[in-house]
Amino acid sequence: MRRLRPAGSVAELPTVTFGHRSLMWWGTLGFMTIEGWTTALLIACYFYLRQNFETWPPLRTPLPSLLIPSINLVVMLISIVPAWLVARAGKRLDALPMRRWLVVSSLFGIAILVLRWYELWALNVRWDTNAYGTAAWTLVGFHATLLVLDVADTIGLTLFLFIKRMPPKTFSDAADNSFYWYFTVCLWIPLYLIVYVGPRIF
Amino acid sequence: MSPAYDGHLPAELTLTDAAIAEDAAALELVWRDAPGFWGWLTTVDHKSIGKRYIITAFLMFIAGGIEAAMMRTQLARPENGFLGPDLYNQIFTTHGTTMMFLFAVPMMNAMGLYFVPLMVGARNVAFPRLNAFGYWCYLVGVVFLYVSLFVNMGPNTGWTAYVPLSGPQYSPGHRVDVWAQLVTFTEIAALAAAVNIIVTTFKMRAPGMSLNRIPLFVWAQLVVSFMIVFAMPAVATGSTIMLAADRAVDTQWFNPAEGGDALLWQHVFWFFGHPEVYIIFLPALGMVTPIVETFSRRRVFGYTALVLANISTAFFAFGLWVHHMFATPIPELGQSMFTAASMLIAIPTGVQIFCWIVTMWSGRPRLTTAMLFVLGFIFTFVIGGITGVMLASVSFDQQAHDTFFVVAHFHYVLLGGAVTPLMGAFYFWFPKVTGRLLDETLGKWHFWLFVIGVNLTFFPMHILGLDGMPRRVYTYLAPTGWGSLNLVASIGALVIATSIVIFIVNVALSYRGGELAGADPWHSSGLEWATPSPAPSYNFLHTRIVGSRHPLWEPTADAPVLVGLSMQRREVLLTSTFDARPDSRNHHPDPSIWPLYVALCMGVTFIGSIFSPYFILGGIGLAFVGLFGWAWQSSHAAGHELIAPPDAAEVA
Amino acid sequence: MLGVGGVIWLIVICAMIYAARSPHGEPGEDGLLQVSDATHHAMERVVVGAGIVTVVVLLAFLSYDFAVGEALAQHPNRALTIDLVGHQWWWEATYEDPDPSKRVTTANEIHIPVGQPVQFKLRSADVIHSFWVPTLNGKRDLIPGYVSSQWFTADTAGTYRGQCAEFCGLEHAKMALYIIAEPPARFAAWLAAASTDPKPPTDPTLRYGQQVFMSANCAVCHTIGGTQAMATVGPNLTHLKSRRTIAAGTLANNAANLTGWIVDPQAIKPGTLMPKSTLQPAELQALIAYLETLK
Repeated sequence: MRRLRPAGSVAELPTVTFGHRSLMWWGTLGFMTIEGWTTALLIACYFYLRQNFETWPPLRTPLPSLLIPSINLVVMLISIVPAWLVARAGKRLDALPMRRWLVVSSLFGIAILVLRWYELWALNVRWDTNAYGTAAWTLVGFHATLLVLDVADTIGLTLFLFIKRMPPKTFSDAADNSFYWYFTVCLWIPLYLIVYVGPRIF
Repeated sequence: MSPAYDGHLPAELTLTDAAIAEDAAALELVWRDAPGFWGWLTTVDHKSIGKRYIITAFLMFIAGGIEAAMMRTQLARPENGFLGPDLYNQIFTTHGTTMMFLFAVPMMNAMGLYFVPLMVGARNVAFPRLNAFGYWCYLVGVVFLYVSLFVNMGPNTGWTAYVPLSGPQYSPGHRVDVWAQLVTFTEIAALAAAVNIIVTTFKMRAPGMSLNRIPLFVWAQLVVSFMIVFAMPAVATGSTIMLAADRAVDTQWFNPAEGGDALLWQHVFWFFGHPEVYIIFLPALGMVTPIVETFSRRRVFGYTALVLANISTAFFAFGLWVHHMFATPIPELGQSMFTAASMLIAIPTGVQIFCWIVTMWSGRPRLTTAMLFVLGFIFTFVIGGITGVMLASVSFDQQAHDTFFVVAHFHYVLLGGAVTPLMGAFYFWFPKVTGRLLDETLGKWHFWLFVIGVNLTFFPMHILGLDGMPRRVYTYLAPTGWGSLNLVASIGALVIATSIVIFIVNVALSYRGGELAGADPWHSSGLEWATPSPAPSYNFLHTRIVGSRHPLWEPTADAPVLVGLSMQRREVLLTSTFDARPDSRNHHPDPSIWPLYVALCMGVTFIGSIFSPYFILGGIGLAFVGLFGWAWQSSHAAGHELIAPPDAAEVA
Repeated sequence: MLGVGGVIWLIVICAMIYAARSPHGEPGEDGLLQVSDATHHAMERVVVGAGIVTVVVLLAFLSYDFAVGEALAQHPNRALTIDLVGHQWWWEATYEDPDPSKRVTTANEIHIPVGQPVQFKLRSADVIHSFWVPTLNGKRDLIPGYVSSQWFTADTAGTYRGQCAEFCGLEHAKMALYIIAEPPARFAAWLAAASTDPKPPTDPTLRYGQQVFMSANCAVCHTIGGTQAMATVGPNLTHLKSRRTIAAGTLANNAANLTGWIVDPQAIKPGTLMPKSTLQPAELQALIAYLETLK
């Protein structure tokens, strides 16, 4: 082996970075890609099954109701605001506002999950009634698992901030958590349109 | 944020031999595993994890081989009584499932997880605990499948599990559920590996190793990792979200009576299934280049062409899946597009082979065992590639589909195209992992018997298929005349088995008694050879600076390095995505029990779900405890942190 | 395609062996080998040339394949339509006719006229099967929820053996069928005979045998034309003795095999839906005698 010759030092490089300079951002992006792609596949399956039916929903299956889903959609869109405020506080390394807005985010998350439970029943069909019911429940239910993970993540982060003194890396992690939150909400928009609005149109 | 490339060196940065020894000892203390069995359970060292991944996957190769031997014994004579239909159906299903899900993909992932960090000059993968978690999930899957087989609950509807045969009505009981959940575990493991390889390759390369300088082995792993991200969700969707749900909670995905569709399964499965075979094949191609370069003493011809060939193969691979469905009632126009794509994908692979051949021609190839396996790969794989082009034709496929012709084709491309280079890779990199060389004489016996065995076993199957013998049959009648070729194939299987035994003997003898290898026995070019064999826990003492595609073949008298990573805690260097300029230091986790714990919770969740949906709630609940612990471990404030303000100019 | 493929393989392997055995390149200062610029350009030309040849050959294959596909996609006027239903593990074939009384249902052995196109309508009663008679047709899957259709013409008279070509469960290996292509006149005679129900037996043993058939649960699954047995779970047995094989091509159709099959079908085709029999020897003998008359 050749002799090692030091040509410089990295000792002054930062140890906490934000955005695409941080590994956690990439991990989050990877997770989003996988889950987003899975959602795209499920949407394709939804439309594939559509071909097997003359009417959609099928005969004798009622339309999904719009009220609770639309309320939840609005709540989700509004929840982007506290998430954004968390990220902003995190990037400013401002612990107290970050903590405050994480609490608000967590509360929004819980509300959204409760509404999501009712959204499932707002489909007005069971998952085992027919292929339409199966596909609709799966699109909403799969997204629900993403919501559960995200809300659990947010609550966990919030609890940590109250329980112990967190290292600076947490500012970056909180910003990434918001990144994931934007994704989860935006992913819902086409799903809402396909599942709740779509059957009224096509 | 850039480091001191300006030549300013504080006095204490000169590296005497004593300093090097001190640094090595300090780093070893920081990076080594915890002692004893607890250390084995909690390791986050990619080499420890990679090694156990490789060993487990090889054991799965043996298990799949035993299953194959049983099948060949049963089929050696017509109307044989060695295996009845029920057992045979479980065995052929388990053989395919084991080879595809438990051997091939995990093995290729394992090679990547072990070698990519070494090849890019990093200390570990990007997410060490995720790496451990992936392995444990895989191991849960292995144990689950084989315990199920031994309690007569082995899956029996083929590794492809077509509905409605695999649905609730025609496969009552839990056998198919075992298959569906097994897929879940292996899918999680593969995705974990893929994310790790992608992020490690993008963010943790040695300074100066810009993207157009990364080794072809790493390119192949990177491309395949992207393929895994887009292919695995399809099979997980199909098996867990659709098939398991149809069976457990009466969803109607595949029930035509309620608007479901039996063909939907095939689309979803093969959308994964076709890329899957390239996920297995491309890493093997990545192994060929360093072997050819090293033993031909030449830089490979056509680096750019080889990279583009890998990438285009990956894209094409997602557009071929319908060629598995040419016998189904799908529109002919659609079929034609898939025929065209299935033929044209031969072009990039052909280009790779041409590049290797001219590289060899322009060098002086030394025919070590590893190099012989490369030649064997070309010999065998091209046959499989040609039968593949034939099968792409709809009219030909409608004769050959679901016959032994197809069995011959895919064994030729998998054994010839993936396993043969893999074996060459074992001979090439065994010294790096163990510090000793494998025996060359035994290696040559292994090589010749393996290549002869593969051809003896699978060539006759082309003829059997064209003669009308369908696949997945537990027996056949004597008047068909298929007996003699089947006997030849079964004898070939014995030859393959012998070659594998020789390999195992070679490994056993060489592990302790083989010739000592030193850091770089082959005088190769990659960074993995710039550190002792086996590599120390911290991989590299200091971060090597790279100036070309072949770092160890650069004409410098010494090895330029960057110092400055901590000697008190685990630190890795992150570099910019395209140009690999040093960007930041990242604190990496210490050994942790949480990956194992969460993997076991996943086991409870998914295995339990077969018996009751309430296990899902319980398992997830337990997993959340683990995830909390995992995050808690990350949140230890350790040492002085240097924070880079987010609005400062971000390094590209 | 095989020929061209074989030649290509041979060329590649010869090139590989030549490349491996011919030393080239001069050592450079770094201990590695290098070639002159001229040689490098020659190598480029070889690789690009080989790539172009590959593309051309593949495009040729592709055009050939499309041409064949075009030819196969022509749909002539049909002489005959047969409704083929796949079951675990046998084939049900019904000859369509606008007059319902002329429809013939049989199992596992299908007669067709030589030289005339026959259309098959393919359905499945349970799981996916695949209809394939190697020298007559390309295989076509029978998929529940779909009706697919396929036609072919038998150019030469003869008996053609096919086998289910999609894994369909325990006895997929023993789900064969026979297509018998015969001159149109012979075929017409066969069809006429097949659409005629057998006369009720007069001989006392045969009458007893028929009684056994009705009372011993055979009639729960099988049809014999002209009797009260009209179930369609298992194959239609109206002209059982006209077939060369039983159990979907598994056994030659003779009294001994028939007896063995009825006594214990599970021993021959484990997992088949037909249960073991509980008949006394005398009942069994009469039954066999009766079945042997169903030509």
